[in-house]
Amino acid sequence: MFRKFYLIFGTGVILFYSVAAFRGWEIGTPKREVLSPDVRRSPGGYRSFHFWHSGFHGGK
Amino acid sequence: MTISQANCPSCGANISFKLGSSIVMICPYCRSVVARTDKSFEDLGKLADLIDTGSPLAVGVRGKYHGQYFELTGRAQMGHQAGGMWDEWYVSFGEGHMGWLAEDQGRFYLTYERPRDASAAIPPIEYLQLGAPVPGLDAKETFIVAERGEARAIAAEGEIPWRLVPGETYLYADIAAEGGKFGTIDYSGPQPIVFLGHEVTLDDLGIKVVPRPERTRTVSAAALSCPHCGGPLALHAPDQSERVVCPNCDSLLDVNQGKLIFFKALSQTRVEPKFPLGSVGKFDNVDYTLVGFMQRSVHFDQDYFWQEYLLYNPQVGFRWLVDSDDHWNFVQTVPPGDVVESAKAATYKGKTFRKYQDAIAKVRYVAGEFYWKVAAGEQVQAVDYIHPPEMLSKEVTRPDSHGHQGTYGEINYSLGTYISLKDVERAFNVTNLPKPTNVAPNQPNPRKGVGLYWLIMTVILLFVAVVSTVAFPSKLITTIPYTFQPLPNADGTQVVFTEKIQLLGNRNIQVSGTAPIDNTWLYAEGDLINEDTGLVQSFSLPIEYYHGVDDGESWSEGSQTKDTYLSSLPAGTYTLRIEAQWEKWQEPASMNVTIKQGGTRGLNLILALSVLLIFPILGWFRKIAFERRRWADSDFSPYGSS
Repeated sequence: MFRKFYLIFGTGVILFYSVAAFRGWEIGTPKREVLSPDVRRSPGGYRSFHFWHSGFHGGK
Repeated sequence: MTISQANCPSCGANISFKLGSSIVMICPYCRSVVARTDKSFEDLGKLADLIDTGSPLAVGVRGKYHGQYFELTGRAQMGHQAGGMWDEWYVSFGEGHMGWLAEDQGRFYLTYERPRDASAAIPPIEYLQLGAPVPGLDAKETFIVAERGEARAIAAEGEIPWRLVPGETYLYADIAAEGGKFGTIDYSGPQPIVFLGHEVTLDDLGIKVVPRPERTRTVSAAALSCPHCGGPLALHAPDQSERVVCPNCDSLLDVNQGKLIFFKALSQTRVEPKFPLGSVGKFDNVDYTLVGFMQRSVHFDQDYFWQEYLLYNPQVGFRWLVDSDDHWNFVQTVPPGDVVESAKAATYKGKTFRKYQDAIAKVRYVAGEFYWKVAAGEQVQAVDYIHPPEMLSKEVTRPDSHGHQGTYGEINYSLGTYISLKDVERAFNVTNLPKPTNVAPNQPNPRKGVGLYWLIMTVILLFVAVVSTVAFPSKLITTIPYTFQPLPNADGTQVVFTEKIQLLGNRNIQVSGTAPIDNTWLYAEGDLINEDTGLVQSFSLPIEYYHGVDDGESWSEGSQTKDTYLSSLPAGTYTLRIEAQWEKWQEPASMNVTIKQGGTRGLNLILALSVLLIFPILGWFRKIAFERRRWADSDFSPYGSS
């Protein structure tokens, strides 16, 4: 039973890795957004849009 | 010159010696042992009738061994000190060349006498230690002492190449070496005589066995009632049994040449076997009759019991079925010479068995019949070695443990193979035998490893990684240098946009930022904006690099380069937006941003390989947990005392 589980589990891991490798998936990719048509139609388009960043700050 | 023909000094019948090497012959008419001397014949006394042991051999049978023709010219039946007997056949190869063929429990051992000077250094029998190499033996192999004992000539026929005197006893030691090598040291004379050879089969000897109709033993119908209580008694292996327990009155009876003789009354608590005596069980396509049952025990903090069932098949001989805590083993003896022991292990047929237990085993209950003179209370030193699913057991019988005095001692090895409950139930056609609740010493570990699966899947995974790397090699999309002017204040940021860039679909994206910073930081947040759909993929590049010297030791932290990986985006035209902020805001800053696509990210592969390892590690822990339970009752546990 343990072997069967492992066989199923391992096959799943290999399949997932294969799909990820050939589709270019990466873990930890930040969420995607879509700019609304209003923004894109407005003067300056997205260049004047205030993006969703939290306003970071780095430093030690 | 010896004479070869004369009249029997006892009955006067005409007898003749065929072989020049014969010392005595048995008068076929009166069973007197007639010895020839230089001038006359001497009557050494009368022998008992031969006991029908069911041997497939007979005087006069011819064969061929290693290209040499031979004939069996004599036979002696020797009584064993511990009860029982064996046949010794004398093999004439012609021209005075003789061999000794011992037959015991269906096994045959052919030996030849070694030159007398080869045994000059062998010590007296008292100095031979059971299980230890034979000192002073001139042989290529290392022979160990398997048995020391005293044999008594019971009966004989034909011509015998030694001076057999009826009723006389002879000291001997049986020795054995690896590969079925066997030997005997005969202490009947002033100087030991060594016979060396090995175990053989009837096929080896070129002897064809003609099946005989099922024999009935000479035990008469009248004798099949207990001489003590008169109750009925059935013998299932009458040819082989030496002792039998009356099921009616628990008397221990000797089987002596067809007669049942009361030996003593047993005072034992009745133990019910799981199968009645006389049951037939089938193992390896051989039908065995259950002829004997005994319970034995060892004592540690308390008594630990187990049950042994003696199985018998006339063609195969005896086997044991051992029931210990509802775990079952099928057991057969192995030649002592094939076992090599060390302090904590024993080797047999290339397998190393680990020592599991060393204790005094005591017979607590007996029922049925046995091929030796069994007695309740009989003790042996029992040492068990395990190599699941097998168990190698050594039993050492010493003079005082068997009721025998003097030199007697014997070492026996047996090999037990673990068999499942289902197999036992199938063999005896029964159901619902109790299920074991603990782990047996040689129980196969049911926690099967997944090492092979892991290896195969790891190879597949690496193959996929190689194929994906070859199919989608890393491709540089763009490198953009940025220069940022000083910021108005510490909270300010500066935003720049690139020219349009083309991204490929189904390729991961690696964005790298490099800034020439030194003991400071630069933080960039980026967005890849699809020109057609407005899709925005954000990311961040926190670059920081610090270094220094503390207490004379240099250190560094961070890097001037930071990478981030993003999942593939739909193929199309994108603009990269970078919004930067840096610690020394009063000064200008610069950074390079590089975008690549494709290539295998090592972290993903490592993660996948690690996930594949979860089950093997879990399986290993399960396996070890089982092994710890297996060794919990052993004094020789590799896991320490429990």
